[in-house]
Amino acid sequence: MRTTSEFIPPSDDPTPEPAASDWTPERQIAHMLGLCEAQMESALAESDQAVDALIKAFTGLSETTRALKALGEDLPPELRDKLDGKLQQQVAAIHDQMASAVVAFQFYDKLTQRLGHVRYSLTSLAMFVCNRAQTTQRESWQRLFSTLQRLYRTEEEREIFQLMVQGATAEDARAQAERHDEARAANHAGEIELF
Amino acid sequence: MPAAASQVILAVDDSASMRQMVRYTLEGAGYKVVQAADGVEALEFAKTSAADLVLTDVNMPRMDGLTLLRELRALNTYKFTPMLVLTTESGQDTKQRGKQAGATGWIVKPFNPDQLLATIAKVL
Repeated sequence: MRTTSEFIPPSDDPTPEPAASDWTPERQIAHMLGLCEAQMESALAESDQAVDALIKAFTGLSETTRALKALGEDLPPELRDKLDGKLQQQVAAIHDQMASAVVAFQFYDKLTQRLGHVRYSLTSLAMFVCNRAQTTQRESWQRLFSTLQRLYRTEEEREIFQLMVQGATAEDARAQAERHDEARAANHAGEIELF
Repeated sequence: MPAAASQVILAVDDSASMRQMVRYTLEGAGYKVVQAADGVEALEFAKTSAADLVLTDVNMPRMDGLTLLRELRALNTYKFTPMLVLTTESGQDTKQRGKQAGATGWIVKPFNPDQLLATIAKVL
């Protein structure tokens, strides 16, 4: 049986070709970018459903924990003494674990936001390449870059963009951004400033 | 962390999962949470009802968080209400724009539940 990760060589089966009059390299590029966007969108929709289910489970767990805590507080004093604070300790441990889950869930939100920007970039590029005259002008590319740059909200996105505009390969840019991620997390995540 | 049961927090974020995390954190501390998915929805609520604190994201469809802050500050009932921004943006420029729009404080996502509650208690 073939696994999904296995390389599938190009098939001999003919795939529908566009009419010869519609075929241009630019349209093909735009179509391929559209394909990437569709695949990403489909994967995101699937993940959204899984995360929704996870959040429902998390909410249920939090309600159960609160009910347990209330039950513990209502126990007769002799029973509470017998438990010697063990119930409270367990409830406190669950509370700490759930606080970590709250932080972890927020990274999914950040991921969705960043992928939204990738999606917009793919759409913009697909529209851009369809105009052949535009693609031959350096200033048009600069304008496209500026538009994409304004999209980015996180420091990670901005850093990768800057590095690649300066000529780094995608691999180098990602590696460098990853090296800075730890320092960034220490400096900014959860940062609070009152004015 | 104890909180007055009557205190209402208006939580604004276009992400359903973020709204859930904020709600879980705040309700666990005893606050009443009203949720809005963007600035327009939040403003509609604010025009007819009061909140003790507003916690808003920045990048949202229809109306972003900074526009919402300016609109809320223009309402008599929200002139002095604490307003915290909760966002992935950590740039000084955006923070400055937030301050000018009327934000009381700026929190960079991901938030830590205990720190968020401590900050809210501080500004309320």
